[in-house]
Amino acid sequence: MPLTGIDDKVVRVDAEAKARGEARYVSDYVLPDMLYACMVRSSVPRARITGIHLPELPEGYYFISAKDIPENGRNELWMIAKDWRCFADGDVRYVGETIGLLVGKDRNILRYLQDNTRIDYEEGVPAVTIDDAIALKGGPIVGEDNVMCSLFCEKGRPMKDVFNEADSVFEETIETGFQEHVHLETNGALITEEDGRYVIYASAQCPFYIRKSVAGLLGISPEDIIIRQTTTGGAFGGKEHFPDVLCGPLLVAESVIHKPIKLIFDRSEDMLYSVKRHPSKTIFRTALDKEGNILGIEGTIYYNCGAYLSASYVVLQRGVFHANGVYDFPATYLKGVGVATNTFPSDAFRGFGAPQTLFAIETHLDHIARRFGFDPAEYKSRYFIKKGGETVTNGHIIEEVKLPEMLSRLAEASDYYRKAEEYGIGSGRGIGISFYNHGGAFTGNGEQAIIKAHARLVKEGKRVRIEVGSTEMGQGFQTALRKIAANTLGIEMEDVDYPNPDTSLVPDSGPTAASRSTMIVGKIVEECAKEMKERWDEGDFSVEKEYVHPEGHPWDQDTFRGDAYLGYGWGAAVVEVEVDRITNEVNTVGIWSCHDIGHAIDELIVHGQVNGGIIQSLGYAAMEKMENRNGHFRQESMSDYVIPTSMDFPKQEWSLVDNPYQWGPQGAKGMGELVFNGADAAYVDAVERALGITVTKIPIPPEDIEEALENA
Amino acid sequence: MAVNYVPSTLDEALLLRKDRKAIPLAGGTDIMVQGKRGLGLAPQLDRPVMIISHLKDELGGIRKDEDGSVVIGAIATAAEIASSDIVPWHVRMAASGMGAIALRNSATIGGNIGNASPKGDLPQPLILLDAEVVLISFDGERRMLLDDFIKGSKTTDLHDDEIIASIVIPPHEFTYSYYRKIGMRKANAISKLSLSAAATIKDGLVVDFRASSGAAGPKVIRSREAESMIIRRPVEDIEGIVPDFLEAWDHAISPHAMPRYRRNTTSRMLTRFLEAIVNGEPEGIVR
Repeated sequence: MPLTGIDDKVVRVDAEAKARGEARYVSDYVLPDMLYACMVRSSVPRARITGIHLPELPEGYYFISAKDIPENGRNELWMIAKDWRCFADGDVRYVGETIGLLVGKDRNILRYLQDNTRIDYEEGVPAVTIDDAIALKGGPIVGEDNVMCSLFCEKGRPMKDVFNEADSVFEETIETGFQEHVHLETNGALITEEDGRYVIYASAQCPFYIRKSVAGLLGISPEDIIIRQTTTGGAFGGKEHFPDVLCGPLLVAESVIHKPIKLIFDRSEDMLYSVKRHPSKTIFRTALDKEGNILGIEGTIYYNCGAYLSASYVVLQRGVFHANGVYDFPATYLKGVGVATNTFPSDAFRGFGAPQTLFAIETHLDHIARRFGFDPAEYKSRYFIKKGGETVTNGHIIEEVKLPEMLSRLAEASDYYRKAEEYGIGSGRGIGISFYNHGGAFTGNGEQAIIKAHARLVKEGKRVRIEVGSTEMGQGFQTALRKIAANTLGIEMEDVDYPNPDTSLVPDSGPTAASRSTMIVGKIVEECAKEMKERWDEGDFSVEKEYVHPEGHPWDQDTFRGDAYLGYGWGAAVVEVEVDRITNEVNTVGIWSCHDIGHAIDELIVHGQVNGGIIQSLGYAAMEKMENRNGHFRQESMSDYVIPTSMDFPKQEWSLVDNPYQWGPQGAKGMGELVFNGADAAYVDAVERALGITVTKIPIPPEDIEEALENA
Repeated sequence: MAVNYVPSTLDEALLLRKDRKAIPLAGGTDIMVQGKRGLGLAPQLDRPVMIISHLKDELGGIRKDEDGSVVIGAIATAAEIASSDIVPWHVRMAASGMGAIALRNSATIGGNIGNASPKGDLPQPLILLDAEVVLISFDGERRMLLDDFIKGSKTTDLHDDEIIASIVIPPHEFTYSYYRKIGMRKANAISKLSLSAAATIKDGLVVDFRASSGAAGPKVIRSREAESMIIRRPVEDIEGIVPDFLEAWDHAISPHAMPRYRRNTTSRMLTRFLEAIVNGEPEGIVR
C-alpha cells in the first residue's frame, strides 16, 4: 500500500468515532461516587455583596466559596495577569461572576439550593459600553481612567506634519459587536484525585494553561495537578482561558470534599456566562491629498475588555498590529486602548483581535475609494504591502506577498470588475471585496521568550506516538499532525498515535491557539521525525525537541518594534448579494475566496476551515447580534442568537496560492484564524453598494439596514 | 413533581382536563422548552401534563367538508399541513417555514395556536382566512373565530376544562395572494415579522380584501377598519386610497422591538400587494 502523501486528502482520524457517537466528551464521564456542581453567580453587574443567604444544606451538600481557599492559596486565576478572581469576594464586577459552587449528588437538589440561594447587594452604577467606560460611568472600575491596557505604534513621518500637508482629512468611527463562540459542546470539567494528585478532565484548548492558572489557589505547584483533555467539541478561542473559570472553583471544592465532582454548563449558561469577542470602536483619521491618495492614517482603537484583563492586552496588541490591514501606508500612528467595563470579560475568539481592526480598515478604505470615485479593489491594491515592505511596528515583510495574483484570480473567478461596474451603487445588487492577513503564531518573540514549546515522539516497535500538549478541538489537528509525522518518517498514518494530551505524560508544546499548531508544533514534530527516521533501527526510543526561533526576526516587546509576526497568512474574499428592497433581506448569491497559507497539509481540512471561517465571519457581519443591556446579555439561546445555516450562505468557491513557508512543516503556515478575518468586510461592502448606504457598525441585520437607509 | 398522564381515549383526556387541569402535550416543542430546568434535569411544569399525540383518530387528520371548509385536526403536524394539497396556500406557506424539519415533524397546529405567541407561524394566515377554532370539553363543544380566541400575547380564551379539537378554515377564492415571513435567518428561525394578504376582484370591484400582520403586536393583527377602506371599491380607486390605507394599517400595528423596521417593512409589503391589484397583474401569488 502506498504511503499517505502530504497533499493527499484523507478521512479525518477522528471522524468515525465522532460520527458513531463513540467519542467521549466530558459530560459522558461518570466516576464512582461522583458529585455534581453548579455555580452561584452574581445577578447584578456591579455591587458590594452585603449578605449571602443559603438554604439549609442537606448532608453531603456543600457551598464552596472564597472562604474555602486555604491560607497559603490566593483567590486568583493566573491567565496573563492574575486579576480574575476565582470567587467574587466582597463585591461583584459583572453579571455571572462566580460567587460560589454548590456541590452534591443530586442535580434536582442542587437546582433547588441554587434557586433558593439569595445574595444581598448594594448596587453601583455599571459601565457597560466603551463610551460608558471612557466617561467613567459609576466611577472607574480599574485605576483612575478605566484603561486596562494600552499601546501605540508609529511609522513614517510624524502625523502632525502629515495632517498639516493634507488636502483633506476623512474621519470615521467603525464599530463591531460582541460575538459568542457557539461551540457545539458547551463548557465542562470534572475533577478527581488519583494517588494524591488532583486530576482534571476538561473540554479545553490549552491543558497546560489550566494547571498554571489554578495551582496558586491551593498554593501548590502546577505539576501537582494533572489535566487530561477530553474530546473537545469546538472551541474557537472560547476554551483557551475560560476553562480556568470552571476548573479553579472545582479545584477548591475538591480540596474540601475529596470526591469526583463534575461541572457542565447548559447552553443558556454557556451563552450568558462565558467570554465573548471584544466589542470594538475604531476611530480613523486619514490624511488625503487632492487625488485621494493616502498620506497617513491615525487610528484610535478601543476594545471592551469587560471586568478582568484575561487575554485582552494580547488581543489588543494583535488588533493594533493588524489595523493597517494588508497595506503599506507612508505614515501611521495607531493607538490601542483596552477599557474595563462591568460586562463578562472578553477573551480569545478566532482572529484574536485582528478581525475588528481588519473590518474597520477595509470598510474605511471602501468609503474613501467611493468618495473619490475609485473602485475599492483597484484603490486598495495600490497600497498592497510587498516583500521587504515596512509594517506598522517598523518590522519588515519577509515572505513574498501574492496579493496581486490573488486579486486577479478572484476577480476572474467572480467576474468582479464587470459586475462592480454593471451593478453600480444602489441597484439592489452588489459585489464587495476585501483583503486581509493574519500573523502566524504568538506575537513578536513570544514563541521564543514565553512558550519555548517542546514536542516528543516515542517509538515502540513499529508504532510511533506523538506527545504534545496541543489539542484537537474539531479543527483537524490530530489528522494534520499525524500526517506530518507519518509522512516525514515514511510510515503509515495508522502507525502513528496521537492521544488527547495528559499534562503528566506529554511535554508542554504551548497553547492550541494563535494559528500556531501546524506552523510551530508541526515543525517541531517534523524535526523530531527527521531525527527518528535517521535512528529508526535503534529499537525503542524517544526524541524530544525544543522550538528553534528562525534567525532574523528582531522584536522588542517593550516598545513593540520589529517583526510582530514570523510570517503571515494572506486572504482575499469577494461576496455578491441581492438585497430585497421590501424587507432588506440579503440574499448572498456568491462567495469567492483565495488564500495564501504557505503549503496546505491537507486540502480537505483546509477546505473545511475556509468554508467554516468564512461562514462564521459572514454571520458576524450579517446576523450574530449579542446585546448587553445594563450588564445583562439579552440573547440566551440558539433561537435568539442565531448563527448562519447553510441556507444563508450556500455556495462558496475557494482557491489557494502555493507559497511554501520556509520555517513551517512542509511549507505550511497557520490558517485557522486567517479564514475568519475578512469575508465580513466584503459582505458589508456588497450590501453598501447594493443599497447605496454607509455602514459603520456590524452586525447589519435587516432592521439595522433600515436605519442605514434612513440615514442615507 | 407533577404527575403526568397518557389518556387512551379522547373522553379520558377530557376527564383529565376537567379534573386535573392537565396541559395537553402533542408535539411538545413549546412545552418542553418552557419547562426546561437545566442540564440533566427533567422539565417541570406547574401543572400536570397529558400526552395526546397518539389520539390521531379523534384529534388528527386534515379533511375537506362538503361546504368546502378545510378541517385540520389539532394534532396535525406542521409537516402534514405543509404537504397537504387541500390546505389553503397561505397556511401551507407558514407551515413549511416553521422551525427546522425535526420541529415540523412534531409541532402541531393546536399547540401553535394554544401557545399564542405573537411570533407563532400558523395563527397569522389562519386569522387572515377567518378560521374558527373548535373547542371541546366534557360538557360539549363551542366554536369561535381564532381571532377572538387568541386574546393577546400568550393568552387565549381556552377554558380550564377544554382542549382544542380542530381548526376550520372556511372556503375562499382569492384573485391575489401574498405571504412573507422574515426570519432571523433563512431557515430554522423564529419570525421577525410576517404578513399575509389576499384580495378578490370581480368585475373591476374589490369584493374581498384582507391582511394580517404577525410579530407586529401582542397578537396577530387584522384591521377590519383598514380593510373596509378597500373593500367594495373599484380597482381604479385603489391607488388613491393607498396612503390612507397604509396609515390606518400602521395605526393598527404596535410593534414593540425594532418598530421602524417592522412598520416600514409592513408598509412596503402592503404597498407591493396593492400595486399588483392596481396594475392588474396576472392572477395568483404576488411576489
